[in-house]
Amino acid sequence: MKEYTYMPEVRRVFRCTVPDENIRQVFLVDGILQEEENEKNGITLKRGPEEKGLYMRVQGDHFAETIQIISVRSEDLPRPLEFTNEWELDPGAGIQIIVCDHTLNEHLYRTSRFSKISLGENARLDILFMQNEHIRSRYWLDLIANLGQGAQLDCHVLSLYGGIINNKLRAVMNHPGAVCRMDGLYLADGEQHIQYDIAVDHNAPDCYSRQLFKGILDNHSRGSFNGAIKVAQGAQKTEAYQANHNLLLNNEAKVTTKPQLEIYADDVKCSHGASIGRLDEMGLFYLRSRGISLDQAKMLQQLAFVEDVLAGIRTQAIRERLEKMVESRLRGEFKKCSNCTMHCC
Amino acid sequence: MLSIKDLCVSIGEKEILRGINLEIKPGETHAIMGPNGSGKSTLASVLAGRETFTVTGGSATFMGKELFSLTPEERARMGFFLGFQYPVEIPGLTIVNFMKAAINEQRKYKNLPALTSGEFLKMMREKMAFVEMDPSFVGRGVNVGFSGGEKKRNEIFQMAMLEPTLAILDETDSGLDVDALRVVAQGVNKLKTKENAFVVITHYQRLLDYIVPDIVHVLYKGQIIKTAGKDLAVEVETKGYDHLINEQ
Repeated sequence: MKEYTYMPEVRRVFRCTVPDENIRQVFLVDGILQEEENEKNGITLKRGPEEKGLYMRVQGDHFAETIQIISVRSEDLPRPLEFTNEWELDPGAGIQIIVCDHTLNEHLYRTSRFSKISLGENARLDILFMQNEHIRSRYWLDLIANLGQGAQLDCHVLSLYGGIINNKLRAVMNHPGAVCRMDGLYLADGEQHIQYDIAVDHNAPDCYSRQLFKGILDNHSRGSFNGAIKVAQGAQKTEAYQANHNLLLNNEAKVTTKPQLEIYADDVKCSHGASIGRLDEMGLFYLRSRGISLDQAKMLQQLAFVEDVLAGIRTQAIRERLEKMVESRLRGEFKKCSNCTMHCC
Repeated sequence: MLSIKDLCVSIGEKEILRGINLEIKPGETHAIMGPNGSGKSTLASVLAGRETFTVTGGSATFMGKELFSLTPEERARMGFFLGFQYPVEIPGLTIVNFMKAAINEQRKYKNLPALTSGEFLKMMREKMAFVEMDPSFVGRGVNVGFSGGEKKRNEIFQMAMLEPTLAILDETDSGLDVDALRVVAQGVNKLKTKENAFVVITHYQRLLDYIVPDIVHVLYKGQIIKTAGKDLAVEVETKGYDHLINEQ
């Protein structure tokens, strides 16, 4: 296991076990980038506006490479914090990014993270947000992505833990041939609130978008999903799909879902759908009849439910790691080590 | 092995089984026949532990234990197996993960160590070959997109993996073509030993040409109206159930 000792102020909790040794790690502590402005192989990294957040510019195709941004809050006297992370990909550029958001103690942290993504012509970005804070944290993610002609964006959001999590994601396709896939998974229990507001704007012809968001809610948790696809006049040959599915584990958990589709063009393929359901009784009996305990049967069904969201994660090693984390989250093990995603199990 | 006495079962207000008596000993193969709605599937489900049914009277012991005090998973770990009439589809759960969980729970119950991945995969391959199942099925969702025959083959595969003491096959033959029927029957015949027992629930005598029962029961309106040797199946096939019902 690789240890990162160059950051004494980041506690040893980050013995990160993301399996690929070659992943470059970048630290943001309380919104401040922990490295000097640098440029390596066409990847420029520096602080964002007002010295907070980060700005990353990618030139050239690095799609086989992954950069992990570990963003933690650790102050003892926390104030609301707001910063912006910006990714700019030149035409033809490519990169994979994992953003891991954590809190290092149980103070009441409020963090607003603005994220701007701009993809040049034929640029490819695969970005994954891992949200794992604690029950008293307030987490806002406000992301806007502009896709150039033929650009490709894969955006995954995993909301594992947080008091209130609010994700606002917007993708704008002003140029033809762009592809945008957005997936999300939210797991809530206790008194958690998780909200997703998704907007996908098809303003140019021949673009493709697909959204798959799934949630599992237990105890008194609340979930809310608002998803809007807007196909402008002239955005012909658009393909746009949206699905939101929710699993409620008891009678107290509650979720509202509002899929929306507005179409002003006449030659498009679009669909949207939403569902709210419970575990399948017959399926549970089937599993139990093979000797699997009720708890384990419920777990297998939940993992089966989220399988297609996780299947969208490109790198196998990271996907397997996240599958384990989701499993331990569903087993309720995260409350014990809620400070850090990467150090458990 | 399994002893059922005066078993009465209802679903809601409706009485389905009205005093079933059945004794199954190691090494035996039983066939239960009967017209639609006679309670055959209810009997199989209630023995496996389906909770939608209420046992209103009678008792059953399995391997010396009171069956109805056990959860479905406890029954399965003790060696009870139900081959489902309608196997359940579970999208997102692969057969390999499903069987790994089942086998390891069973081994834990028997105080055996969990299988290593290598041992487990070897076992999977052997048992799949045994039921002539395409190895590519391993990574597919449980029963998802399977044809009727593939689903039933998957049931026999699971049975071969779990090596039950008592297996009840609920209309495993329905919807099968001749080849699939042969595979199912061969599976049962090869797994049969002096220590285990099979109960085959069927509408037709056809399956019983391949799996020859020692004892045949005819169930009608929640009661066993006749028990006899394998010739009873032939009698049902040629004369129908009406003649047995009229004999009553």
